[in-house]
Amino acid sequence: MAEHRLRIDPAGTPRATIVIVPPLFEEANRTRRTLVLAMRALVANGFAALLPDLPGQNESLVPLVEVDLDRWQDALAEVIAGNDGPAIIASVRGGTLIDHKAKAAAWWRLAPVGGASLLRTLMRARVSADREAGVRSSLEDLQAAARSEALLLAGNALSPAMIAGLGAAEAQPVAPLRSIGIGADGIAGTPLWLRAEPGEDAAMARAIAADIAAWSKSCGIS
Amino acid sequence: MGAGIEGLCPFHAKERKLTDSSSIDATLRALLADVLGLGEDRAAALTDDSGLFGELPEFDSMAVATVLTEMEDRLGIIIDDDEVDGEIFETYGNLLAFSLRKVTS
Repeated sequence: MAEHRLRIDPAGTPRATIVIVPPLFEEANRTRRTLVLAMRALVANGFAALLPDLPGQNESLVPLVEVDLDRWQDALAEVIAGNDGPAIIASVRGGTLIDHKAKAAAWWRLAPVGGASLLRTLMRARVSADREAGVRSSLEDLQAAARSEALLLAGNALSPAMIAGLGAAEAQPVAPLRSIGIGADGIAGTPLWLRAEPGEDAAMARAIAADIAAWSKSCGIS
Repeated sequence: MGAGIEGLCPFHAKERKLTDSSSIDATLRALLADVLGLGEDRAAALTDDSGLFGELPEFDSMAVATVLTEMEDRLGIIIDDDEVDGEIFETYGNLLAFSLRKVTS
């Protein structure tokens, strides 16, 4: 099933298409606005920008519990295969765990994170919510249960395949790749994906767009 | 400020430790600013008695989970479930004391 995608085109033929792979789960909501601002800055610079919904996320009709990392990797590969002209993948945080199956012209990764760390936070939120509800649970209990049943973690119903996949996932080697963090040596800004309440950062969005545009040029794409 | 530096020399070992604890303090403030969106000024104004969980509206159970994982990543520690009780998130001072204990143990 074709998922909803947010696509913004420049006037005329795009220099290339920047396909944004957002962070996973709640982190996607916290960063969406800033990423869309970055997309607009890229479009003003002659790129097309595309932000596809992953199956089971946002407007998708697919239940999240039916999804795992393989399915997300395949969905992205399909998006890229259906795109005209060169595509550059710009993935953020957990998005970097699912961007390697797609045949892109280049990759740009912001603040990659291991799947185990994302999973630990989700499980901790569950333990902490259980505790508030007077139920005793622990990371170990949840990990054991996840081998045979789906778990509801911070509002996300995750299958055993998804949980096992996340627990072991690391960003995979791709080329050409620019991997960048935030702060003094990277993109100036703050880790919006960690924020308890969503914020936005227009200056960070411009910095992201400028860095992707420069990377595109140094890869000889445009 | 030559005199000041000379004055510190005999206490070199102690000074090192102080630097460690102040860098843990700085790491923890930056982390809370990132997760809670406090801004530098509010993060810098936190004192030992500043209330966290239950007092800062942004500090919900998801934020607690995020803070714990970020503490592990940025301080290079592992935090077990049974070490986490309500007390360590009661005040900034408690959270800092817990972090110092974990890093030095």
